Amino acid sequence: MMTKTGLISAGFAWLLTAVAAQAAGDAFKVCADPNNPPYSDQKGGGFENKIAELFAKELDKKLVYTWFPQRMGFIRNTLKAKEPDSEEYKCDVVMGLPAGYDQAATTKPYYRSTYALVYVRKKGWDDIHSAAHLDALSPDRKAKLRIAMFDGSPATTWLLKHKLVEQGVPYQSMTADATINTAQTLEKELLAGKIDMAIVWGPMAGYLVHHNKPGTFAMIPMQSEEGVRFDFPMSMGVRIPDKARKEQLEALIDKKAADIEVLLKKYHVPLLDKDGKLLTPAEE
Amino acid sequence: MKKPVKSWLVASSVASLLAVPGVSFANAEVEALTKDTKNFATWGGNYAGTRYSTLDQINFKNAKHLQPVWTFSTGMLRGHEGGPLVINDVIYIHTGYPHKVYALDQATQSVLWEYVYAPDKGTDQSQVISVMCCDVVNRGLAYGDGKLFLAQGDATLVALDAKTGKVVWKVKNGDPKTGMTATNAPLVVKDKVLTGISGGEFGVRGFLAAYNIKDGSLAWKKFSMGPDDEVGLDPASTMTWTDGKMAPVGKDSSLKTWQGDQWKIGGGTTWGWYSYDPELNLVYYGSGNPSTWNPVQRPGDNKWSMTIWARDVDTGEAKWVYQMTPHDEWDYDGINEMVLVDQEMTAKDGSKHSKLLVHFDRNGFGYTLDRVTGELLVAEKFDKAVNWATHVDMKTGRPQVNPKYSTQHGGQDVDTKGICPSAMGAKNEAPVTYSPKTKLIYIPGNHTCMNYEPFEVEYTAGQPYVGATLNIFPAKANVKTGEKESSNHMGSFTAWDPATGSIAWQVDEPFSLWSGMVSTAGDIVVYGTLEGYLKVRDAKTGEELYRFKTPSGIIGNVSTWTYNGKQYIGVLSGIGGWAGVGMAAGLEGDTEGLGAVGAYKGLSSHTKLGGVFTVFTLP
Repeated sequence: MMTKTGLISAGFAWLLTAVAAQAAGDAFKVCADPNNPPYSDQKGGGFENKIAELFAKELDKKLVYTWFPQRMGFIRNTLKAKEPDSEEYKCDVVMGLPAGYDQAATTKPYYRSTYALVYVRKKGWDDIHSAAHLDALSPDRKAKLRIAMFDGSPATTWLLKHKLVEQGVPYQSMTADATINTAQTLEKELLAGKIDMAIVWGPMAGYLVHHNKPGTFAMIPMQSEEGVRFDFPMSMGVRIPDKARKEQLEALIDKKAADIEVLLKKYHVPLLDKDGKLLTPAEE
Repeated sequence: MKKPVKSWLVASSVASLLAVPGVSFANAEVEALTKDTKNFATWGGNYAGTRYSTLDQINFKNAKHLQPVWTFSTGMLRGHEGGPLVINDVIYIHTGYPHKVYALDQATQSVLWEYVYAPDKGTDQSQVISVMCCDVVNRGLAYGDGKLFLAQGDATLVALDAKTGKVVWKVKNGDPKTGMTATNAPLVVKDKVLTGISGGEFGVRGFLAAYNIKDGSLAWKKFSMGPDDEVGLDPASTMTWTDGKMAPVGKDSSLKTWQGDQWKIGGGTTWGWYSYDPELNLVYYGSGNPSTWNPVQRPGDNKWSMTIWARDVDTGEAKWVYQMTPHDEWDYDGINEMVLVDQEMTAKDGSKHSKLLVHFDRNGFGYTLDRVTGELLVAEKFDKAVNWATHVDMKTGRPQVNPKYSTQHGGQDVDTKGICPSAMGAKNEAPVTYSPKTKLIYIPGNHTCMNYEPFEVEYTAGQPYVGATLNIFPAKANVKTGEKESSNHMGSFTAWDPATGSIAWQVDEPFSLWSGMVSTAGDIVVYGTLEGYLKVRDAKTGEELYRFKTPSGIIGNVSTWTYNGKQYIGVLSGIGGWAGVGMAAGLEGDTEGLGAVGAYKGLSSHTKLGGVFTVFTLP
């Protein structure tokens, strides 16, 4: 149901290329959010873009995107949407979905990350080196703390369990504005001192570190505990019946595992091994 | 706005006195229009929302002879909720987002004018669609002061000239970039038009807003949760059912039931229907589920989500409130319509009441309250399959939750099985009808249960967290008794006695009923089905008198009116909405569309997409 206006705003010029590439039948078609760093953006700056490039090159196919804000309705408007008057789908692969996500068939995980506590250095919180330090804060320091609280995030459950919810400043996990990304909002609010810290998903924590001068941000990976799970494996997604493509992607994930790990480390994503042990040191 | 009782009363009466000269008496006009049976002038047929017509040309004896006499394609594929308005011989129909509105001439059955939605500069339609949870439906138009009002998907309220379709004014009621969208049917009352907001999934803090009908300026806006002044609560004079009687809500009644600042993203959206009592000057509506979905993360009663509201139309101040599902764990959105019933009844304590408010909540309870005072009179299951609560304690007014079906009690890794009703509710948004002749309410029932499984979900790209996956399936328990049964039916046509809170009689329907009903003095009840049938039943017995298969599944509301002295019935078909989102959007997995697709996949062998308006009459 994309209208003409919708097409234009999604990048009309790009769509022409897409059609041409499809006609040739040689495209690696990825469904992605046009503005969601560090995962993807329209300039190809996200790590999911880089992995997509790697795979397209390996398959000797042209990389083609369908852009749509990644939230409710993303799968139905991309992976499961057909081109008008065609049996061709708009795109075939979503580069980042939680393993086992039920609206798509997910590949074996290609990385596993965890939530991390982030704060701006030299603002009076530098003595905090673990989540336990937050628990141990003196009442007067605790009273001053303003920590981002995301709707539906396991971090909110953690804040409740650790009696820090009164310190919570509510944010939407799912940004409704396609032009603003949660990681960017956080960066702005943290640097401006509107909030002191946040517990966010690893790649987003990595974005804050990666996108600023070294040493600006402190990043402390969180550990899962009874009733709060922080670590999750991430996969790629295809349409459920699309078994051949899933196998193809899994072969590529195996083949390119080392390259993927180097790339994720470059983006400062905290990585865990399959047993849940931290692979990378807490990079800052 | 926090005022002592006395000055508040004085202020409001002074305001209404001052308001008399120069006021547009749109309500007098709307009231007059609704009393003339040639019209169907509001979503509910009248301010009381009874969807009852005194017309009796089409009646239980001759309904079998009904015929479709003309049809009109809307040209749109997605779901068509809401129903036609008929005002002074012109029929107005509308579509979901991006909207079209057609004014149809009955003499020629052709288009008088057509309004085509045009986004404001900077509004990206794919952005708006991506924040609408359950298809791009819209629940209908409102009329008053020569204007038609439409709450557009992008949360703008537009006033159209009823004669030309030209935009008279437009106001931004919310910003889709914060997750706000609009799907409600507005209501014109006095010199104001009332509208609400959708977007609970994004943590939008719900509100009801009143705009001045002349120019679209904001008259008042009252939230569902937060500080007393923003919610429009007077700690001393706003009443609620407390310990078997009405008592003041007290200071900070909302803030006290949330932890920290969570109320700021508290949900309680207001995307349903609004009713009005001109004598009491009160508007009635329900607020939706609290946000976030995960109940573990929002300890407390989360007031005033899931609440029935009675507000003064001039000031927006709440006269009384009643919370149906404190600390919701099941997504039993409390937005279903409030029906204002004038009927004598004696409550269990012997007290007499005649001005009633009747509401059938998604949570499966049918409520009767005294709409003057807010007293709780009846709270009984209108589908006995309901199991999440054993009953409502009439003294506290609180549902007695069965821990077995508490999704929170089950915990993070437990799949809580067989909760009834499903998150779609024992009845969803489709409005009921009340016949003062039979003194019964006819309910479009949704007879389904769910498994509620915490699951890694992601809304924002690559950010997993534990949410909930729903599986929805037929209840397989008798509507009247709750006893196990083998039938796979998912719908129920239920006749309900609002004075006693009992099921008078009931008829099974194969699919959930998602169409607003109409009843008439001809002792018939008319509604649509998801397979696409327009059905007429005998209001006294439930016997099916007539059915006709329209071109698509019906999630729209039936209207009836006269033209040149002849009675007509009309309905929009066009499958979609939550029940049909699977079909409308091409989903496949059983848990997609918030769990709707698995339950409704049988539908695709019955009907296909496409909006069509069909008009029926006797030969």
